[in-house]
Amino acid sequence: MAEAKKSVGSDNAEDILTKIENKSLKIESLIKQYKFIEAIKTALEGYPPLDERCKSANWIGVHKALMAIKDVEGMLRSLDPQYYDILMKYVYRGLSTGNRTTCDQCLKIHEKLTEKAGFGCILRSLADTVNTV
Amino acid sequence: MRKWLVSCFLCCWLWIFLICSLAMQVLICRNEAEKCLIETSINSLRISLKVKQADELENILAKKFLRFLSMRAEAFQVLRRKPVQGYDISFLITNYHCEELQKRKLIDFIVQFMEDIDKEISELKMSVSTRGRLVATEFLKQF
Repeated sequence: MAEAKKSVGSDNAEDILTKIENKSLKIESLIKQYKFIEAIKTALEGYPPLDERCKSANWIGVHKALMAIKDVEGMLRSLDPQYYDILMKYVYRGLSTGNRTTCDQCLKIHEKLTEKAGFGCILRSLADTVNTV
Repeated sequence: MRKWLVSCFLCCWLWIFLICSLAMQVLICRNEAEKCLIETSINSLRISLKVKQADELENILAKKFLRFLSMRAEAFQVLRRKPVQGYDISFLITNYHCEELQKRKLIDFIVQFMEDIDKEISELKMSVSTRGRLVATEFLKQF
Protein backbone atom coordinates (compact mmCIF):
# COMPACT_ATOMS: atom_id res chain seq x y z
CA MET A 1 0.00 0.00 0.00
CA ALA A 2 2.81 2.37 0.96
CA GLU A 3 4.80 1.30 -2.15
CA ALA A 4 1.76 1.98 -4.38
CA LYS A 5 1.40 5.43 -2.80
CA LYS A 6 5.14 6.11 -3.29
CA SER A 7 4.99 5.17 -7.00
CA VAL A 8 1.95 7.43 -7.48
CA GLY A 9 3.87 10.26 -5.71
CA SER A 10 6.94 9.80 -7.96
CA ASP A 11 4.69 9.68 -11.06
CA ASN A 12 3.21 12.99 -9.98
CA ALA A 13 6.69 14.45 -9.55
CA GLU A 14 7.65 13.18 -13.03
CA ASP A 15 4.48 14.74 -14.48
CA ILE A 16 5.22 18.01 -12.72
CA LEU A 17 8.83 17.95 -13.97
CA THR A 18 7.60 17.42 -17.54
CA LYS A 19 5.15 20.32 -17.18
CA ILE A 20 7.93 22.53 -15.77
CA GLU A 21 10.25 21.61 -18.66
CA ASN A 22 7.51 22.51 -21.19
CA LYS A 23 6.95 25.77 -19.32
CA SER A 24 10.70 26.47 -19.46
CA LEU A 25 10.74 25.96 -23.24
CA LYS A 26 7.73 28.29 -23.58
CA ILE A 27 9.52 30.93 -21.46
CA GLU A 28 12.65 30.66 -23.62
CA SER A 29 10.65 31.10 -26.83
CA LEU A 30 8.83 34.15 -25.37
CA ILE A 31 12.18 35.70 -24.37
CA LYS A 32 13.53 35.17 -27.91
CA GLN A 33 10.44 36.99 -29.22
CA TYR A 34 11.21 39.90 -26.81
CA LYS A 35 7.92 39.28 -24.98
CA PHE A 36 9.48 39.62 -21.53
CA ILE A 37 6.26 40.43 -19.68
CA GLU A 38 4.47 37.34 -21.03
CA ALA A 39 7.55 35.30 -20.14
CA ILE A 40 7.49 36.43 -16.51
CA LYS A 41 3.72 35.85 -16.28
CA THR A 42 4.16 32.30 -17.61
CA ALA A 43 7.02 31.72 -15.19
CA LEU A 44 5.02 32.84 -12.14
CA GLU A 45 1.89 30.90 -13.04
CA GLY A 46 1.21 27.58 -11.45
CA TYR A 47 1.44 26.72 -7.79
CA PRO A 48 5.02 26.38 -6.48
CA PRO A 49 5.73 22.63 -6.44
CA LEU A 50 6.39 20.77 -3.19
CA ASP A 51 9.21 18.52 -4.40
CA GLU A 52 12.78 19.91 -4.19
CA ARG A 53 13.70 18.74 -7.70
CA CYS A 54 10.57 20.41 -9.13
CA LYS A 55 11.37 23.60 -7.21
CA SER A 56 14.91 23.67 -8.66
CA ALA A 57 13.61 23.02 -12.18
CA ASN A 58 10.96 25.73 -11.75
CA TRP A 59 13.57 28.19 -10.45
CA ILE A 60 15.69 27.77 -13.59
CA GLY A 61 12.79 28.91 -15.79
CA VAL A 62 11.86 31.81 -13.49
CA HIS A 63 15.53 32.86 -13.29
CA LYS A 64 15.77 33.08 -17.10
CA ALA A 65 12.63 35.24 -17.22
CA LEU A 66 13.85 37.50 -14.38
CA MET A 67 17.28 38.05 -15.97
CA ALA A 68 15.69 38.93 -19.33
CA ILE A 69 13.70 41.84 -17.89
CA LYS A 70 15.10 45.27 -18.80
CA ASP A 71 12.16 47.53 -17.87
CA VAL A 72 11.26 46.55 -14.30
CA GLU A 73 8.68 49.30 -13.75
CA GLY A 74 6.86 48.45 -16.95
CA MET A 75 6.81 44.79 -16.00
CA LEU A 76 5.36 45.53 -12.56
CA ARG A 77 2.72 47.85 -14.02
CA SER A 78 1.39 45.10 -16.27
CA LEU A 79 1.67 42.31 -13.67
CA ASP A 80 -1.41 41.31 -11.64
CA PRO A 81 -1.14 42.16 -7.92
CA GLN A 82 -1.82 38.51 -7.05
CA TYR A 83 1.64 37.62 -8.40
CA TYR A 84 3.53 40.15 -6.24
CA ASP A 85 4.01 37.79 -3.29
CA ILE A 86 5.22 34.92 -5.50
CA LEU A 87 7.57 37.28 -7.34
CA MET A 88 8.99 38.49 -4.00
CA LYS A 89 9.65 34.87 -2.97
CA TYR A 90 11.58 34.28 -6.18
CA VAL A 91 13.47 37.56 -5.71
CA TYR A 92 14.63 36.39 -2.27
CA ARG A 93 15.63 33.04 -3.74
CA GLY A 94 17.65 34.94 -6.34
CA LEU A 95 19.28 37.06 -3.62
CA SER A 96 20.41 33.95 -1.76
CA THR A 97 22.27 32.54 -4.79
CA GLY A 98 25.24 34.91 -4.44
CA ASN A 99 25.76 35.30 -8.18
CA ARG A 100 26.63 38.95 -8.92
CA THR A 101 24.40 39.51 -11.98
CA THR A 102 21.45 37.66 -10.44
CA CYS A 103 21.77 39.64 -7.19
CA ASP A 104 22.02 42.98 -9.05
CA GLN A 105 18.88 42.25 -11.03
CA CYS A 106 17.03 40.92 -7.98
CA LEU A 107 17.96 43.99 -5.92
CA LYS A 108 16.57 46.26 -8.69
CA ILE A 109 13.33 44.27 -8.82
CA HIS A 110 13.14 44.17 -5.00
CA GLU A 111 13.39 47.97 -4.77
CA LYS A 112 10.64 48.61 -7.34
CA LEU A 113 8.41 45.82 -6.04
CA THR A 114 8.64 47.12 -2.44
CA GLU A 115 7.68 50.61 -3.67
CA LYS A 116 4.66 49.14 -5.46
CA ALA A 117 3.53 46.39 -3.08
CA GLY A 118 4.75 47.70 0.29
CA PHE A 119 6.42 45.99 3.25
CA GLY A 120 3.51 43.59 3.70
CA CYS A 121 4.60 41.80 0.55
CA ILE A 122 8.06 41.18 2.04
CA LEU A 123 6.59 39.92 5.31
CA ARG A 124 4.10 37.62 3.60
CA SER A 125 6.74 36.12 1.33
CA LEU A 126 9.22 35.53 4.19
CA ALA A 127 6.67 34.31 6.73
CA ASP A 128 5.17 31.69 4.39
CA THR A 129 7.28 28.67 5.31
CA VAL A 130 4.80 26.16 3.83
CA ASN A 131 4.68 27.27 0.17
CA THR A 132 8.36 27.97 -0.39
CA VAL A 133 9.97 28.32 -3.80
CA MET B 1 -4.29 9.67 33.24
CA ARG B 2 -3.72 8.17 29.79
CA LYS B 3 -5.66 11.03 28.13
CA TRP B 4 -3.52 13.52 30.04
CA LEU B 5 -0.30 11.86 28.87
CA VAL B 6 -1.51 11.80 25.24
CA SER B 7 -2.50 15.49 25.41
CA CYS B 8 0.93 16.38 26.92
CA PHE B 9 2.66 14.45 24.16
CA LEU B 10 0.59 16.21 21.48
CA CYS B 11 1.29 19.61 23.07
CA CYS B 12 5.04 18.92 22.99
CA TRP B 13 4.92 17.97 19.32
CA LEU B 14 2.84 21.07 18.46
CA TRP B 15 5.29 23.25 20.38
CA ILE B 16 8.29 21.75 18.54
CA PHE B 17 6.47 22.21 15.22
CA LEU B 18 5.71 25.84 16.11
CA ILE B 19 9.34 26.52 17.07
CA CYS B 20 10.59 24.94 13.83
CA SER B 21 8.13 26.98 11.76
CA LEU B 22 9.10 30.21 13.55
CA ALA B 23 12.85 29.61 13.28
CA MET B 24 13.87 30.56 9.78
CA GLN B 25 16.79 32.15 8.00
CA VAL B 26 17.13 34.52 5.10
CA LEU B 27 20.34 34.92 3.11
CA ILE B 28 20.76 38.12 1.10
CA CYS B 29 23.87 38.41 -1.08
CA ARG B 30 25.09 41.49 -2.86
CA ASN B 31 27.70 39.49 -4.72
CA GLU B 32 29.98 36.51 -4.06
CA ALA B 33 31.96 38.37 -1.36
CA GLU B 34 29.30 40.39 0.50
CA LYS B 35 26.33 38.77 2.18
CA CYS B 36 23.98 39.09 5.10
CA LEU B 37 22.37 36.21 7.02
CA ILE B 38 19.32 36.89 9.17
CA GLU B 39 18.26 34.09 11.51
CA THR B 40 15.07 34.36 13.53
CA SER B 41 13.87 32.55 16.60
CA ILE B 42 11.05 33.06 19.09
CA ASN B 43 12.55 35.89 21.08
CA SER B 44 15.61 37.00 19.18
CA LEU B 45 17.20 37.78 15.84
CA ARG B 46 20.77 37.18 14.71
CA ILE B 47 22.16 39.29 11.86
CA SER B 48 25.55 38.22 10.46
CA LEU B 49 27.49 40.26 7.93
CA LYS B 50 30.33 39.40 5.59
CA VAL B 51 32.04 42.60 4.41
CA LYS B 52 33.84 43.24 1.14
CA GLN B 53 37.53 42.29 1.22
CA ALA B 54 39.10 42.96 -2.15
CA ASP B 55 42.74 42.14 -1.29
CA GLU B 56 44.97 40.78 1.48
CA LEU B 57 45.44 44.20 3.11
CA GLU B 58 41.65 44.79 3.32
CA ASN B 59 41.29 41.26 4.66
CA ILE B 60 43.71 41.96 7.53
CA LEU B 61 42.30 45.43 8.24
CA ALA B 62 38.69 44.18 8.27
CA LYS B 63 39.61 41.29 10.57
CA LYS B 64 41.49 43.55 13.03
CA PHE B 65 38.91 46.33 12.98
CA LEU B 66 35.89 44.02 13.46
CA ARG B 67 37.71 42.02 16.16
CA PHE B 68 38.35 45.34 17.94
CA LEU B 69 34.62 46.12 17.83
CA SER B 70 33.55 42.60 18.85
CA MET B 71 35.84 42.69 21.92
CA ARG B 72 33.91 45.76 23.11
CA ALA B 73 30.52 44.13 22.48
CA GLU B 74 29.09 45.19 25.90
CA ALA B 75 29.31 48.83 24.88
CA PHE B 76 27.22 48.16 21.77
CA GLN B 77 24.73 45.89 23.61
CA VAL B 78 23.42 44.33 20.38
CA LEU B 79 26.79 43.14 19.09
CA ARG B 80 27.92 39.54 19.49
CA ARG B 81 31.42 38.77 20.81
CA LYS B 82 32.02 36.02 18.28
CA PRO B 83 30.77 36.21 14.71
CA VAL B 84 28.92 33.28 13.18
CA GLN B 85 31.10 30.80 11.24
CA GLY B 86 31.73 32.13 7.74
CA TYR B 87 30.89 35.75 8.57
CA ASP B 88 32.84 38.77 9.86
CA ILE B 89 30.48 40.25 12.45
CA SER B 90 27.21 39.28 14.11
CA PHE B 91 24.48 41.17 15.92
CA LEU B 92 22.14 39.54 18.41
CA ILE B 93 18.92 41.43 19.06
CA THR B 94 16.72 39.97 21.80
CA ASN B 95 13.23 40.86 22.99
CA TYR B 96 14.81 42.74 25.92
CA HIS B 97 16.63 45.02 23.49
CA CYS B 98 13.36 45.65 21.64
CA GLU B 99 11.69 46.62 24.92
CA GLU B 100 14.51 48.87 26.17
CA LEU B 101 15.56 50.43 22.90
CA GLN B 102 13.53 51.97 20.07
CA LYS B 103 13.15 49.52 17.15
CA ARG B 104 13.43 52.22 14.51
CA LYS B 105 16.69 53.52 16.02
CA LEU B 106 18.00 49.96 16.23
CA ILE B 107 17.37 49.43 12.53
CA ASP B 108 18.94 52.82 11.73
CA PHE B 109 21.98 51.85 13.80
CA ILE B 110 22.53 48.60 11.94
CA VAL B 111 22.03 50.20 8.51
CA GLN B 112 24.41 53.05 9.46
CA PHE B 113 26.92 50.48 10.73
CA MET B 114 26.85 48.64 7.40
CA GLU B 115 27.29 51.90 5.48
CA ASP B 116 30.17 53.10 7.70
CA ILE B 117 32.11 49.83 7.76
CA ASP B 118 33.14 50.01 4.10
CA LYS B 119 34.08 53.67 4.49
CA GLU B 120 36.16 52.98 7.62
CA ILE B 121 38.06 50.11 6.03
CA SER B 122 38.81 52.19 2.90
CA GLU B 123 40.11 55.05 5.10
CA LEU B 124 42.27 52.63 7.10
CA LYS B 125 43.67 51.17 3.88
CA MET B 126 44.48 54.64 2.55
CA SER B 127 46.23 55.68 5.78
CA VAL B 128 48.27 52.42 5.83
CA SER B 129 49.33 52.99 2.19
CA THR B 130 50.24 56.65 2.90
CA ARG B 131 52.29 55.73 5.97
CA GLY B 132 54.00 52.91 4.07
CA ARG B 133 54.90 55.28 1.22
CA LEU B 134 56.31 57.89 3.66
CA VAL B 135 58.39 55.28 5.50
CA ALA B 136 59.72 53.81 2.23
CA THR B 137 60.60 57.29 0.88
CA GLU B 138 62.47 58.22 4.07
CA PHE B 139 64.28 54.89 4.16
CA LEU B 140 65.35 55.00 0.52
CA LYS B 141 66.66 58.60 0.83
CA GLN B 142 69.84 57.29 2.39
CA PHE B 143 70.69 55.27 -0.74
